[in-house]
Amino acid sequence: MTNSFGDIQNAKSIFIIGCNPAVNHPVGFGHILKAKERNNAKIIVIDPRFTKSAAKADYFAQIRPGTDIPFVYGMLHIIFKNGWEDKKYIEDRVYGMDEIRAEAAKWTPQVVADVTGVSAETLMEITTVYAKNSPGTLLWAMGLTQHTIGTGNTRIAPILQMALGYMGKAGGGTNILRGHDNVQGATDMGCLSDTLPGYYGLVEGSWKYYARMWGVEYDYIKSQFKDASWMGKPGFTLARWWAGVLAGKPGEDAIENAGTNLKALVVMGCGITSTSQNLKIQQGLDNLELLVIADPFVNEAAILTNRKDNLFILPSATQFESSGTVSATNRSAQWRYKVVEPLYESKADQDIMFELAKRLGFYEEYTRSMMMRLKSDGHLEMTPDKKTFQWPEDATIEISRTLRTIGMMGWTPERIKKHTDNWHMFDEITGAGKGDMKGEYYGLPWPCWSVKHGGTPNLYNVDVPVSEGGMGFRNNFGLEKDGVSLLSGKGSAPIGSKVDGGYPEITKENIEKLIGRTLSAAEKDLCGANWKTCTSGKLVDLALEAGLTPYGNAKARAVVWNFPDRIPLHREPLYSPRPDLVEKYPTYADKANHFRVTTKYATIQKEKDYTKEFPIVMTTGRLVTMMGAGLENRASKYICALTPEMFCDIHPELAQKNGIKNGHMMWVHSPAGTKIKVKAKYSYTVLPGMVFLPFHFGGFMQGVDMTGNFPAGTKPYASGECANTVVSYGYDIITQIPASKAGLCRVEKA
Amino acid sequence: MENTTARALTTTVGRRSFLKMAALGSVFGATSSFASEKVTRAATEEEVKDPFPGSKKIKTICTSCSVGCGVIAEVHNGVWVRQEVAQDHPISLGGHCCKGADMIDMVRSEVRLKYPMVKENGQWKRLSWDEALNRIAKKLNELKQKDGSDAVQFLGSAKMSNEQAYYFRKFAAFFGTNNIDHQARI
Repeated sequence: MTNSFGDIQNAKSIFIIGCNPAVNHPVGFGHILKAKERNNAKIIVIDPRFTKSAAKADYFAQIRPGTDIPFVYGMLHIIFKNGWEDKKYIEDRVYGMDEIRAEAAKWTPQVVADVTGVSAETLMEITTVYAKNSPGTLLWAMGLTQHTIGTGNTRIAPILQMALGYMGKAGGGTNILRGHDNVQGATDMGCLSDTLPGYYGLVEGSWKYYARMWGVEYDYIKSQFKDASWMGKPGFTLARWWAGVLAGKPGEDAIENAGTNLKALVVMGCGITSTSQNLKIQQGLDNLELLVIADPFVNEAAILTNRKDNLFILPSATQFESSGTVSATNRSAQWRYKVVEPLYESKADQDIMFELAKRLGFYEEYTRSMMMRLKSDGHLEMTPDKKTFQWPEDATIEISRTLRTIGMMGWTPERIKKHTDNWHMFDEITGAGKGDMKGEYYGLPWPCWSVKHGGTPNLYNVDVPVSEGGMGFRNNFGLEKDGVSLLSGKGSAPIGSKVDGGYPEITKENIEKLIGRTLSAAEKDLCGANWKTCTSGKLVDLALEAGLTPYGNAKARAVVWNFPDRIPLHREPLYSPRPDLVEKYPTYADKANHFRVTTKYATIQKEKDYTKEFPIVMTTGRLVTMMGAGLENRASKYICALTPEMFCDIHPELAQKNGIKNGHMMWVHSPAGTKIKVKAKYSYTVLPGMVFLPFHFGGFMQGVDMTGNFPAGTKPYASGECANTVVSYGYDIITQIPASKAGLCRVEKA
Repeated sequence: MENTTARALTTTVGRRSFLKMAALGSVFGATSSFASEKVTRAATEEEVKDPFPGSKKIKTICTSCSVGCGVIAEVHNGVWVRQEVAQDHPISLGGHCCKGADMIDMVRSEVRLKYPMVKENGQWKRLSWDEALNRIAKKLNELKQKDGSDAVQFLGSAKMSNEQAYYFRKFAAFFGTNNIDHQARI
């Protein structure tokens, strides 16, 4: 989220595309309803289904899955045609909008109607309402991301916001609703195969920085890898790790993984059955040499597999039996206090990691940094007389002094605890503190540049000083491109800035020029080469004093020249329900070595016209009662009473055409040859040509009950087929997120 | 009465309705022949006001979605006994969804995994933490020697705290691989 749930109350219009907060973020949705009540905000919902969020909307467009880019280009077409765009904002703060304008010109309301299924009248009405009710906030979640063109979807949405000047404003912004409680935090912590914590890239400089901050030699880390080259290559992802196991078998994609297949999988707290292609996951699990799963409940991966040996399940403590910080979807931290000690023989996640590290021979090196402290000159030293580290506080401190890129320097354990202890002292809309907490925003939303900084409630807002959370866009891609400056224009710097306009990120080299004074030798000594690795904090302090954002003040890029699509382009799903459009809007060429595995695009899309055998559009999503793979929710009797079994939302017309009765069993078949047996639930929320499947169930595989594999006394109170068994091949071209939202299927009476 | 109780226990009921039935049971119970002043001591005024004397109310955060709702957990003698909404929380404002309202079951659910287990010859077997960790580490070390660190994949969690997630990422780095990911990918 660039803003926050509370801030949505400042919006005059709320554009919800590819998310369903009434169901998935019910308490957050309260703020949206308040915006409607108090502010007369117009709620607009774009979704393939008439969701519960749509039920609260003033305007609703039922879009064909996977056609969000055409829809938004259609809006931009109308906006540019009528001159409704914010010209000054675009001129000062956006790079490459002309290319967007040219593409939008192609998407007339009639073309959009043909591709998306939304009428020209509805498109014009929605565009008018959204452009005329300023500021507008834009919300999305996995409805935009889980497509082969997911990255394009997540780019076209902020482009719309920038065209209307809605970005970097209270009541505006792009508000991406994270799923699990700490998706934001675990991502910030770099629990990813393509970055180090804090989004430091996998380059040698970053590894050297981390080695320094971990208190070990770079060569020590290097010696753990096959060789230095593998430190720079993104690893397998949650989406396709199984390809690393199965490579070499007939029909499987080729891999490049340091000369080896994957042979062991260590999972901690991840419902790995809620991705896609569940049958492949099962085969991957079956072919490992070692499978270790740590979870408070028995992860369904452990019962889905047919393996007979070398399968360990370890009882993790729940988050209520541990403590630490958690980052909400708006980048703010809260201290999650421990409620009780771990029950039974369960162990907190960190204790499991520490115990394993001891046995793998790196415990001392791994935990050393928690025994160290940062000196004022930016160097680490062993903390004198420290005998043992204190979890989690010493880790919180380590994160705070290390993750500078996203401004975690102000996140000390004391401050975060104080915020949680005093949560009643903060305003529900602005997040601003009162009384003793004045000058700070609830949870110190990052970037929180120093221990004196109060956090940044709304990103990219130049209407307030940097000291109060102001900032421009990040300078991350050079100073100019093809002769055009990438720095923002005159007058578009945060209030109180020493530089009236754009400037590059702060370095030792440019700091004196930017702040307009000469540094003393002592001051210079404290400066690192670049603000991101300047651990004394001197460069950041100097920038803040001069009202400058440490990362610079640049233009946002509408054109990303290093992506396969310079601007977002519509491309039909691999399994398109409109083969007549595939030629005009084809998918990508196959991509080799995409997170270590070849990923097919054109090969699948061109293989055949799938609609003959699989004429029904299929999409998946969530229920209000569950999260992710749903196992922990199905461990609650009360939740299971509410949603006791797996089902398929099917329009009565489609059902009756196939002889499927309401409440009777039906088969859903996928183009990959997989199938699931589920209960039919008549519903008018889907159109007659499509079905909806919730993805929270597990324990059944293609009609076979696998729940006999649960160890005695651990079976959840509800089980069922997993929707992901019939979610077919398809991954985003950049992030490799599975394309689960725009599939095809065939339905049949069971 | 017995029938009602039996039905109540075999049907899947919510915690609140179960407590209501339990309360109802005690009202009827008081008129039965088993109850007398001698067995059921009269509750003191203090006990009526507060059935968990000396309990602590702990502010904590829901583990379900990313909204970040406040939870008030009441703990008595080390046992989480009651859960309440946080009326004064700036985001949740006293709200809870159906998942958040049942956070207490994350801890007390009877179907939790209670001790380490291993599957051997197709059978589940209980084992100690020490044995489990020793065997896992032995195999991981072997693979690292024979096939290299990249033979191992680590999958972490968006349900971990920041500190745990950071240390999970760090673990993969110290093991020597970038084969690490978590739910944010989906």
